[in-house]
Amino acid sequence: MTLSDEKGDVPAHAERSAGAVLRARGIRKSFRMGDRRLEILHGIDVDLLPGELVALVGASGAGKSTLLHVLGLLDRPTEGEVEVHGRSAWGLANPDRAAIRNKDIGFVFQFYHLLPELTALENVLLPAMIAESRRSFRKMRKDYTERATGMLERFDMTKRLKHRPPALSGGERQRVAMARALLLNPRILLADEPTGNLDSATGERVLDLLFEEQRLRGLSMILVTHDDRIAKRCDRILHMEDGLVLADSAITIPD
Amino acid sequence: MYRSFISLRYLVARPTNLIGVVGIFVAVGALILILSIMTGFLEESRRTIRGSLSDIIVEPYFHGFVPGEAIPDRPGPMLQTLRGLDGVRAAAPRLQWAGIITQSGPDADKFQQIFSSSTHASLLVAELVGVDVLTPWRVAAPAIALSTRARAWVAPDFRIQDEFDATELMGALRRVAEDEDKTQDPDDELTELFGRPRAPVHNPLFPFQPPPEYVRNGRPLASCIVGKQLFRSLGLARGDVLEIGTVVPSKEKGWNLNNRRFVIAGTFQSRDNEMDAARIYVARSELADFLGDSKTFSQTLVRLENYERDGERLVREIRETLEERNLILGGLNARQEVRTWEQFRINVLRAIENERVLMGIMLSLVLVVAGFTIFAILSMMVTEKRRDIGILCALGATPRGVLDLFLLIAFWDAIVGATLGTVVGVWSAIEIDSIERWLSSALNVQIFNRNVYLFDHIPSVVQPVWVGTIVLGAFLCSLLFAAIPAWRASRLDPLVALRYE
Ligand SMILES: Nc1ncnc2c1ncn2[C@@H]1O[C@H](COP(=O)(O)OP(=O)(O)OP(=O)(O)O)[C@@H](O)[C@H]1O
Ligand SMILES: [Mg+2]
Repeated sequence: MTLSDEKGDVPAHAERSAGAVLRARGIRKSFRMGDRRLEILHGIDVDLLPGELVALVGASGAGKSTLLHVLGLLDRPTEGEVEVHGRSAWGLANPDRAAIRNKDIGFVFQFYHLLPELTALENVLLPAMIAESRRSFRKMRKDYTERATGMLERFDMTKRLKHRPPALSGGERQRVAMARALLLNPRILLADEPTGNLDSATGERVLDLLFEEQRLRGLSMILVTHDDRIAKRCDRILHMEDGLVLADSAITIPD
Repeated sequence: MYRSFISLRYLVARPTNLIGVVGIFVAVGALILILSIMTGFLEESRRTIRGSLSDIIVEPYFHGFVPGEAIPDRPGPMLQTLRGLDGVRAAAPRLQWAGIITQSGPDADKFQQIFSSSTHASLLVAELVGVDVLTPWRVAAPAIALSTRARAWVAPDFRIQDEFDATELMGALRRVAEDEDKTQDPDDELTELFGRPRAPVHNPLFPFQPPPEYVRNGRPLASCIVGKQLFRSLGLARGDVLEIGTVVPSKEKGWNLNNRRFVIAGTFQSRDNEMDAARIYVARSELADFLGDSKTFSQTLVRLENYERDGERLVREIRETLEERNLILGGLNARQEVRTWEQFRINVLRAIENERVLMGIMLSLVLVVAGFTIFAILSMMVTEKRRDIGILCALGATPRGVLDLFLLIAFWDAIVGATLGTVVGVWSAIEIDSIERWLSSALNVQIFNRNVYLFDHIPSVVQPVWVGTIVLGAFLCSLLFAAIPAWRASRLDPLVALRYE
């Protein structure tokens, strides 16, 4: 990762971006507040390599969520480009971009964001329902259900399959959200303070599960967090301040 | 896949959606039921009017003729001309005049009373209709006439029958006779309840014969046949004497007041209440005599071999031929002088048709209201489900998919509502008569007064095309009203919903 204005390390840059699953260049994002334009992101480059676990840290209001939304194709940047698996995403038609969100990127939010009318299992199946037509879903329903049930079981949710979100605890809801994000085997996982709403013990367990999945599946993952201890468990830390990525510290994992 | 799944889940989870379903159900059901009844009324009215009316009516404008070159005031030449046309089965003359009932029955006191009240005035103006029954043809076949019995009589298939048939009297007499048979049924509660007085003529083939209970004293009187409603409202009985006055033009004085007494030979029922409440049939010769021979016929009724096939052609032909032979005034008046039965009663048919259209428009408003409820419920739902919409977008739903999702909710509303509405609407349209009878007896109120309307049952005709149109309308209405909130949902920025708890 480089500072946007730093042009020094060209070979490293080129080498890194070559195999990146997610690549962002010159991302600027501004919001219109009345007649004033408020720029939140001031030109950010990000490269996310296969299997890489990256922590995104920074003060509240630095623009971490905004950047993650841009990278997750939920928010269009004012300027700049996002490439997913080498394809420039914002140049695509809306349905194609929706398909990338559906299949290539998993999202875990701080506030879980489950549909309250659906059971835990149905919530997990949601990405498959969106991906498949009615007929193909009926054909593959058993496969998907098995996969979803298996995942929830691995997350210790065996007894909660038929529960609706309002009847689940915060930790349980986040596990459902994680299973949902991973159902279609995306290569990229974006997590925005997944444990921000949980007590530290519960958060710890949820995070352990998440890291384990990341390791097993070889996911490329960006994790937004305020917790230095969590950040230190990652391969790399991106520091954000005032809409810029200040430093990119590769961490050597202690053996 | 998620569209139908989630829309159904929302539908089930939100009982308020039932309001939309009920709205569509009521609108579709009511539209089908009411339009079926109105169509039934229209078709039944056509049939009834058709049944008591001959195919073509020729009504010459006598007053328009310049004296001197005037056409004959006897029907002979016209009848001859008409009968000579190809496709004409029968033609019969008819004389019509207005009369006033001045006194009658066992108690003249009642008439005194009626005369002193303006509310009864309309009852007292009668439409005198003179028809030919004793044509030479008829006289020539007395044996057949005598051999038929009063009730279960078989109409002899002769030319005379056709002449008789050409007048409306035939059907009207037959109806009374049939009714008489029906009321023999002791189970008929309505007869018990309302006690319909009936007095069929003694011998339908010679309807103007004085009834057997008529006691003759002095000079025998001419007979008349009175409409059922008039008969009832005046409290008459067969064999009573009715005094009728009338005003006729006279060359010397300008106007003459005539009056004459008639003995009541029986009643007729045409199913057309206005006719039954005002019309009195007499023999045409008798009426012509009553009017001082100033007039012998006012219309000629024509029955065709096949109206559906020849009707239009013959109307034109009759106009041309009669005008050519100076038997009608012709020119611009020809259209009014020679009319088909439909043109003759076009106002009645148009009135019912208009009523049907009006009812349709009014009930469509119910559909609009139902659509509006769907609009309101969906708008609420879109606001409430903002976050869900954001989540779906984050998981890969397109705006188009969100649009479909909310449209589908309205679609389910329409499917359930329209199906229920169609089933209940069609069923009740078919069963309306028994439903009404049941309701009437359950509530002890007479909802459909069978004595007031043209029919003794509630007519209804379910037209599949209309049912289809109504169902289609229900779907269009639901979807159109749902389109606005659904479109709003698809335009929502998913992030606004996702950023906060
Ligand atoms: N739609 C918007 N309109 C205006 N300002 C916005 C909008 N979205 C975000 N911002 C502003 O952008 C800045 C960055 O917000 P962002 O949510 O990305 O911060 P963050 O780093 O995720 O903070 P936190 O750690 O508290 O989650 C904030 O000052 C916020 O007020
Ligand atoms: Mg944030």
